[in-house]
Amino acid sequence: MSRARPNLGREGLDRFVDAAPQPERSGLRLLVALERRPRGRRMLGRAHTVEQLANGLVAMGHYEDPANALTLGWDADAIAARGRALRREEGRL
Amino acid sequence: MSRRREPRIIEADVCVIGAGAGGAVAAAELAEGGASVVVLEQGPRHDADRFSARPLDMLARLYRDGGQTTTLGTPPILLPLGRGLGGTTLVNSGTCFRTPPAVLERWRGEFGLEALADEQALDPCFARVEQALSISEVTPELAGRNAAVARRGAEALGWSHGFLRRNARGCVGSGVCAFGCPTSAKQHVGITYIPRAEAAGAQVISGADVRHVLVERGAARGVEARLADGGRLEVRAPTVIVACGTIHTPLLLARSGLGRASGELGRNLALHPATGAFALMDEVVDMARGVPQSFYVDEFAREGIMFEGVAGPPSYVAMSLPLSGKRHAEAMANYRSLAMFGLMVSDRSRGSVRSLAGRPVIRYELIEEDVARFRRGLQRMEELFRAAGAGEVYLGLPGGVTPERARARDLKLMAFHPLGTARADARPEHGVVDGNLQLHGVTGVHVADGSVVPSSLGVNPQLTIMALATRLAFGLLGRDVPPTETTDAARERVA
Repeated sequence: MSRARPNLGREGLDRFVDAAPQPERSGLRLLVALERRPRGRRMLGRAHTVEQLANGLVAMGHYEDPANALTLGWDADAIAARGRALRREEGRL
Repeated sequence: MSRRREPRIIEADVCVIGAGAGGAVAAAELAEGGASVVVLEQGPRHDADRFSARPLDMLARLYRDGGQTTTLGTPPILLPLGRGLGGTTLVNSGTCFRTPPAVLERWRGEFGLEALADEQALDPCFARVEQALSISEVTPELAGRNAAVARRGAEALGWSHGFLRRNARGCVGSGVCAFGCPTSAKQHVGITYIPRAEAAGAQVISGADVRHVLVERGAARGVEARLADGGRLEVRAPTVIVACGTIHTPLLLARSGLGRASGELGRNLALHPATGAFALMDEVVDMARGVPQSFYVDEFAREGIMFEGVAGPPSYVAMSLPLSGKRHAEAMANYRSLAMFGLMVSDRSRGSVRSLAGRPVIRYELIEEDVARFRRGLQRMEELFRAAGAGEVYLGLPGGVTPERARARDLKLMAFHPLGTARADARPEHGVVDGNLQLHGVTGVHVADGSVVPSSLGVNPQLTIMALATRLAFGLLGRDVPPTETTDAARERVA
């Protein structure tokens, strides 16, 4: 039986939004919720700057996901693993 | 009936508040010089084994407010600040410049800081930090193709440029300096000066939220802190070094009733506001392979405009791209051919920080003179990318707004170098600390972070902050800073 892979992009975005101070946190949650729905996206389309922010936020979550980042040549797990190996090899903190 | 726990009490010669660029350096030098030192750091001790190279994940862990501290004003400016042992040195790009001579001259002339800004006297301080942090110039190979694009443009235009000097050792170009170096190649103070301080006997306590600096009859008595387990801590020390950073130092001093006599506490905030631009190239760039900030163009430094490399993994670029909808998706599909570069302004605008319900409220309005610098800088940035062969250039402006017509509200800005909120000035009526970084009118309370820097530097400030902290530590020890071997290259500065 295969175990469902966690959605690191979505989880990462949720943690990022949760880490924001108020009132930004509430604003970001609203933007993410709107950007994820077609009707919300149409509403956001009326305000260019806000649309860009919402679009960027959700896209950030999308490309945080290892599978999506890999399609663009970015393998975060390999970078982190190489770093750990080098630190061990060279006795760094 | 519950009883309030008695505070734990520690006695020391020196209590250092904050383990960032200033605090860690001062703590290590003092401890190695024989002082008993306690370092209180509000944030945690980070484990590099848990660094994931994923920006969103690391922003939430390594930054205050997940990197979303924002100024109030036009435009709002994102001000990411590191949190934990190492402070912002943990998450900065590692770029190291000595304080430009013209800036030191201004400190002497405008702020009466003859001794503090004495270039010759500071030289051994800089040299000592440069040696401790293995500061050296990035090689073209390690700089990667993103830097090569900017270099090609600068060479075609005949603009002054060079590879940056950084505090890195054994760097393999992981491309995530701002999100926790997975190889610990970046020599941030959390893995350099803090271990030195501990080896020399300093107690370093993380998760300690300092509430007040205690002063009696005009002299430091110690500090009171809350610990992560809910307990209270009192450090009794005749010398206190406040190094909470430019945003939080004035808040701590204000709630301790200190530093307010001049009316300058929390004012004079300079930020070095910055923006980024992207270019779609006809080649594979893979911007995050190599050192993100490895190259600079200082052709316009005299005008207060500096170009420095910036780059990141796809999720970071997705957030930074000044596009939306289909155009955003198309640009991201071409991520491997995107180049990115940053533009930083040595600002004349000044802001302020004050506390509201215990949180910093940062106000900063970009004045027209600085908006004009951004207009010119963005025009030049576009030229740079075009000269490098860019097909399309994406500046951080709304659609239809050209650089020459940009207004403050059109700019999409970030800032990484807050300075000046407890500025040094020899005159008590104009500054918070004196030339020895001691609070005017209070014996034994010193400040050692970006807040004492009295003006914009025009360059990355970590080396300035560390050199000033070195000077302070040796001053408190009553010793000269020992000479260190340096090369001419180590003294290179931006003109």
